[in-house]
Amino acid sequence: MRNLIAKLALAAAVLGGGLGTAAAETANIWVRADGSNFMPRIVDAYNKAHTNQVKLDIIPNAEIIPKYGAAAAGGTAPDALSLDLIYTPSFAAAGQLEDITDWAKSLPYFASLSPAHVKTGTYKDHIYGLPFSADASVLIWNKKLFKQAGLDPEKGPANWAEIAADAEKVNALGGNIKGFYFSGNCGGCNIFTFTPLIWASGGDILSEDGSKATLDSPQLRGAIDLYRSMVKKDLVPAGAQTDTGANFFAAFAAGNIGISPSGAFAIGALNTQYPDIDYGVTFLPGKDSGWSSFAGGDNFVVTKGTTKLPVVKEFLDFAYSLEGQTILAKYGSLPVRGDIAKDALKDLDPRYQIAAEAMAKGKTPYSVVFNDLINSANGPWTQMINEVFFGDDVDGAIANAQETMQSIIDQAPQK
Amino acid sequence: MTVITAATPAPPRTRKVASRHQWIGLLYVAPAVALVVVFFLIPLGMTAWMSLHNWPLMGEHSFIGLGNYVAILRDTRFWNALRFTAYYTVIVTIAIFVVAFPLALFVERPRPLTNLYRTMFFMPAVVGFASASLLWSWLLNVDSGLFSPAAYDLGLIDRKFNLLATFQPAFWSIIAMVVWKVAGFTMIILMAGLQSIPQDLQEAAVIDGAGPFARFRAITLPLMRRTLALALILSVAGSILAFDQFYIILRGGPRNQTLTAVYWIFNQSFVSFKLGYGAALSMVLLVILVALSLVQLWLLRKPEGLD
Repeated sequence: MRNLIAKLALAAAVLGGGLGTAAAETANIWVRADGSNFMPRIVDAYNKAHTNQVKLDIIPNAEIIPKYGAAAAGGTAPDALSLDLIYTPSFAAAGQLEDITDWAKSLPYFASLSPAHVKTGTYKDHIYGLPFSADASVLIWNKKLFKQAGLDPEKGPANWAEIAADAEKVNALGGNIKGFYFSGNCGGCNIFTFTPLIWASGGDILSEDGSKATLDSPQLRGAIDLYRSMVKKDLVPAGAQTDTGANFFAAFAAGNIGISPSGAFAIGALNTQYPDIDYGVTFLPGKDSGWSSFAGGDNFVVTKGTTKLPVVKEFLDFAYSLEGQTILAKYGSLPVRGDIAKDALKDLDPRYQIAAEAMAKGKTPYSVVFNDLINSANGPWTQMINEVFFGDDVDGAIANAQETMQSIIDQAPQK
Repeated sequence: MTVITAATPAPPRTRKVASRHQWIGLLYVAPAVALVVVFFLIPLGMTAWMSLHNWPLMGEHSFIGLGNYVAILRDTRFWNALRFTAYYTVIVTIAIFVVAFPLALFVERPRPLTNLYRTMFFMPAVVGFASASLLWSWLLNVDSGLFSPAAYDLGLIDRKFNLLATFQPAFWSIIAMVVWKVAGFTMIILMAGLQSIPQDLQEAAVIDGAGPFARFRAITLPLMRRTLALALILSVAGSILAFDQFYIILRGGPRNQTLTAVYWIFNQSFVSFKLGYGAALSMVLLVILVALSLVQLWLLRKPEGLD
């Protein structure tokens, strides 16, 4: 029934568009709060230059998925949304998204769009999502505190031992100053910043196609020991244990944390909101050498059956222009078009180059049950990281998480 | 005979009047009935209907009969959540009454500043649960909140203590917050009950030589049965449906030990997108809640010979 109504509405819109004059249309677009810095600016720029308009709603990170699902069920979904890229497979599998394969492939710059995004935006060889914003995980350190602690402020840690040693030296400054920070009760934060430590050392937590959980590895064990040892030495503020992500960025921005794994978004946010903090950006290192990164960000997806497809396409095309990519880069996202990334970044903070490089070689897990496995505050991943970083029974926690994750994967609807 | 014939025409008239009265009565309650139908009966019917389907948040749904209910039987995490909810309900209800009853006795009689006390104790009840949870979430924060940093700065503890990191302190923090928030409301209900007890009964008992404890046990408590029933049902029903405080302050943590039944329903519906299964869980919870309320009403029913 709803489908029928949607089709009728579509038919009416097509007829209306064919007969009437090209009246300005307004498309409704949602973005999660992570995009609240760049999204309003790019929408403003688009609205100023076009007759068609975009109306933007910013939704809290944790609410956007259930809210969109409820809106879609009630027929009030936005025309498009900027969706955390890891959700694209499950949304596409649910039949919620418009197939934009033909349009995507007709774009002259299609081949240079971020590969990690396009991979997660593809479901059964059809394209349902295209890159919008990009964020790579990196390690940031506070240069002022490094200098005070007698460390070289221009050289960030390049392996696990250096992370622990540098954090300990900064921590020794005492007072409010702590060596290291991470959000110890936030699954999303840690898939973003903790798993690259494992990847860089040659391990992984999921098999390539997402059909097997592979938590029982020496690389995961080693990375856990790194965090545990820092917790044990009191290098991490007590609040980390219960931080569900609220302080993921804020803790470092307060200026009394030596080292923190973070994302490229932090560069834009620190530069615009905390210009006093002097910080460096480096890769998330492997145990002895090497590095890796989580290629994150948002895919732009279109709600199935929307009548505003032309507006949505026009907006996305604008976002992919040099002007659009420059606005994105200036306000906290990495460019998603490889061929003009250098131009978009050229007048900006050179630290973006590190993040852009991390993005280009970044990795993104692929799973249709990512939310249940990883991001859910009550899912196995979140529970495990909290237990292994702060609890007593590391082996039990890993075994338990491995079993729960595998059973969630096995019970997922096979489509 | 004449009596009968004289009487026979009367009933139709009265019946007519009565039935017209009934129709007018129905008209008066119609808005309320419409509200109940639109906002309670129809959603309830829809929930029951959805619970018989595999109904994802997005995409097509399919009829699976009692499949969801069979799955509930095997869902150990739901039963664990239910067990925790029961534990929480018992503890928090006792805690609320232990605080609210003395408060009610204290503010019942007019004395200097009574109105001020009543307002003060009642004030937290007008704050929504979500806002109260956000407030306490900050108060309980170990780095930037009040309790732990204050204790540290006053030298009471030599290392900041994270109240929300382990089960016991986290659980009792929630209990404290709920008591702070709800006790004032229960106090008002109990106070109204206390004030409805006729003063002369108490005076007669005093003349008969009954002490304050005997008066409380033999007069106050029995005459407050219905008030107590109301307060108890409100408290138990509210506690079984607890969600906001555990979601906002604890996120079901530490380590998923404070997942309540409603939290689990929320997770199944809006995190795992299984709306049909969530609806089935809701129906189970509804049955439990109705059964509990009936038991309470029966336990606190009007005793024989008492008005």
